[in-house]
Amino acid sequence: MMHIPALLLNLAGLALLLVAMSKHQHDWLRRKLPAAASRNLRAGGFTLLGLAFLVSVAGLGWLEGTLAWFGWLTVAGIATVAANTNRERIQRWGARP
Amino acid sequence: MKSTFRQSMACLHTWTGLLPGWFLFVIFLFGTIAYYQQEISHWMRPEIESGPVSARALDGADAILRQRAQGAGSWTIAIPDGRGGDGFTVSWAKPGAAWGDRTQVMLDPQTGAETAPRDTRGGFFLYRMHFDLHYMPVMWARYLVSLAALAMLVAIVSGIITHKKIFADFFLLRFGKGQRSWLDAHNVTAVMALPFYLMITYTGLVSLLFTLFPWAISASFPSEQAYYKAAFPSAPAAEVSSGPAPVMPLRDLVSRVNHAVPGYKAGYVTVNNPGSAGATLDAYPQYDEFGGARGSVHLDAVTGKVLAVPPAAGGATTTQRVMIDLHAGRFSGWGLRLLYFVSGLFGTVMVGTGLVLWTVKRRTRLPDPDRPYFGFWLAERLNIAVITGTPAGIAAYFLANRLLPHDLEQRADWEINSLFMVWGGVLVWAMARPARRGWVEGLSACAALFAAVPVINALTTPRGLVASLMRGDLLFAAFDLSMLATAALFAFAAWRVLTRRAKVPPRRTPREARGAFA
Repeated sequence: MMHIPALLLNLAGLALLLVAMSKHQHDWLRRKLPAAASRNLRAGGFTLLGLAFLVSVAGLGWLEGTLAWFGWLTVAGIATVAANTNRERIQRWGARP
Repeated sequence: MKSTFRQSMACLHTWTGLLPGWFLFVIFLFGTIAYYQQEISHWMRPEIESGPVSARALDGADAILRQRAQGAGSWTIAIPDGRGGDGFTVSWAKPGAAWGDRTQVMLDPQTGAETAPRDTRGGFFLYRMHFDLHYMPVMWARYLVSLAALAMLVAIVSGIITHKKIFADFFLLRFGKGQRSWLDAHNVTAVMALPFYLMITYTGLVSLLFTLFPWAISASFPSEQAYYKAAFPSAPAAEVSSGPAPVMPLRDLVSRVNHAVPGYKAGYVTVNNPGSAGATLDAYPQYDEFGGARGSVHLDAVTGKVLAVPPAAGGATTTQRVMIDLHAGRFSGWGLRLLYFVSGLFGTVMVGTGLVLWTVKRRTRLPDPDRPYFGFWLAERLNIAVITGTPAGIAAYFLANRLLPHDLEQRADWEINSLFMVWGGVLVWAMARPARRGWVEGLSACAALFAAVPVINALTTPRGLVASLMRGDLLFAAFDLSMLATAALFAFAAWRVLTRRAKVPPRRTPREARGAFA
């Protein structure tokens, strides 16, 4: 059952990579982060993707683990894009009292 | 015009994507579905229970062969793997009879009792359609598929070069912006599963290796047969032993085959000259082990002595096997299988959005959108016919499986004909209707056909969705639920085309028309 942690780590990693990009910072955070913070977010994002890879490989072996990592990375990527596309809806929903 | 490298790549991407694109959509869609071919086969044979073949079932097969196939020239036993679906079958033929005149009996994989499921090719047909197509000689089909796969590889590489902002636009998908949205959707589906596309296209070409490069064989072997004989040696000539002798119990023979090579699982077993002292057995393995053996194990069927095991594979053969296994994913458990399927779906969507993008982009430049030039008209109609017609045909295939009478002559062929009849119907319809109406109607037809599948299943078999959920039959329930989900997606797409197109007039601003992308 390495699939769920692999997906969640990939998702968290891509979310960090998303907010590490200045154009998305403006949308999601309403301000631009300092360059150092963006760098840290990017490093954190890649670290989480790396962790997801280690978790997959530890659970399924090199071969299936690598395949599963790529697969969940794709799924997490589509989920991140879907969230980014529906950002306004998500923010409205989050801002509701 | 083609002044820069990127522009020439964009042009290459457009045409290597468009011309084989309709074909690639079909190949992608059937290939994606084929990851669940055995589960589909299981659903299409609701009379049999699935699961790994038990020792009891092997004994049942043994008894049938001994009682009813005495004096046969050969016995064959097809043992499906644990995912089941394709039935546990035995067959035999009288000495000298043609292969087609064999008597075939399907058994329940658990109890070994004789069963007579409806005549269908099940998910196996959808898998074969992926590379053998239909209504044409297999070799023609494979040449066509090879060419399409080569074009796909060219389109992927030229697409990567053409895509200016892979990283800057990594997460970008903007809806409601006409052509820009289609480009975004094409880019996102292309980039997100890019490693999968590269892998699947390259390994797909490797699986067609000898179709594309027959010279690899002809350089070293006098004929193709000579190569296959060397790569897959047939049984050593049996010692000429006269007199009758009983074949060892099937269960013991299978167990000996499985112990002859580590990890070997007999999948297709032939017993030659059963009943005589010189009886031999050839066993081919199941393919669900990654990079596993593909050659056959030979036994003396009377004594069970191992006569030959598959030769150790060399580096090139092992590489080829690993690539083909990577492509087909037969080794994968439920999790990886789902990922293969999802990635394949994204691939189908990527090809589909690319095809639509071609027309959306050109529609803005038409002098009179109501009377386009022939090439545009054809591309638009083919888009509708392929993108909505193929899924509609597949839904019809499932419906025909439930609706055709069981005693129909060549029933399995009629299921397949139903697929192509509906597909052809959508093609004719798309030609006759205005494009926008054609899209809405094609998508609606898909929604209706897929929604009908669980309904018809519940009406014609005792294994409807509610019954499956009650008895905890996850496979049948998942099949019906995925049909409903597919129907919902098509209905949503139809609704979007119907409402959105009506509100937004065709964009004609020059900036939009001169998109950054070919």
